[in-house]
Amino acid sequence: MAAVTPLSEHDILLDLELALMSDTTKSDDVTPADPRALFEEQALQYMDQLYAAAMRLTRNPADAADLVQETFVKAYQAFGQFQQGTNLKAWLYRIQTNTFINNYRKNQRNPYQGTIDDLEDWQLGNAESATATSGRSAEAEAIDHLPDSAVKDALQAIPEDFRMAVYFADVEGFSYQEIADIMKTPVGTVMSRLHRGRRMLRDLLADYARERGIGSPEANLSGATK
Amino acid sequence: MTDCGCDKAKAELEEYLHREVSEADFVDITEHLQGCTDCSDEHLVGLILTQRVRSACQEKAPDDLRAAVIGRLEQLAN
Repeated sequence: MAAVTPLSEHDILLDLELALMSDTTKSDDVTPADPRALFEEQALQYMDQLYAAAMRLTRNPADAADLVQETFVKAYQAFGQFQQGTNLKAWLYRIQTNTFINNYRKNQRNPYQGTIDDLEDWQLGNAESATATSGRSAEAEAIDHLPDSAVKDALQAIPEDFRMAVYFADVEGFSYQEIADIMKTPVGTVMSRLHRGRRMLRDLLADYARERGIGSPEANLSGATK
Repeated sequence: MTDCGCDKAKAELEEYLHREVSEADFVDITEHLQGCTDCSDEHLVGLILTQRVRSACQEKAPDDLRAAVIGRLEQLAN
């Protein structure tokens, strides 16, 4: 079932549902007989988002563009199976995730694949937070001041399944259940991937900030050059 | 272990952040955060992490991709 019921009241999802509802009513008086027009009207608006996710998956613009194109082709061919009124964006993401796994993952073999969820935290190098209580506001401040490139690099550095769980939750605001549907994995696994992914990201960003003396006055004094 | 609310809040902060807790827990944790600097600082780090990830990941699909997709759909429809 592609149908995903929002468990929580994310504004994005509410907006999306409203949009879908109005789209459906609108398309009644236009041309319900033209599936391509309907598809273009409903699905193409998500191209930027699918492309952004594809960039995080493939790591380069050319492969990301190919993946998105392939996703739209598959989605169009399967559009008859899409149930109007359910979450189209989640459905498209699911197709994109499948397409990526089938077409691309075998080319850029991820050594972690398949076993990453079974690794212990110590193997991933992220034992529970070492951040001292007093350091938290400095940490928040440092993360806030990092350049986008540092955040993207850190995302690229964490295992793909963790990265995408974080992406779906934090960038797209999908519910855990929706992410579970997109990634075809139990909700418990989604939670674990999210937790570990965010932990790793946080540690990487803290390291980055420390190296460059971002965020904490003491570190600035110690002479960061860049 | 007696719990002043920190154990529960800490354990659920991430789900709280993602609005995945029950309404009752949401109220409890919100209340706890108002009175606890330790937990609210931790929550702030989580919020900022989310914000930064979100803003760093914004992309615009290239125009030629848009054109290519529309072209492919046209071909498929004919």
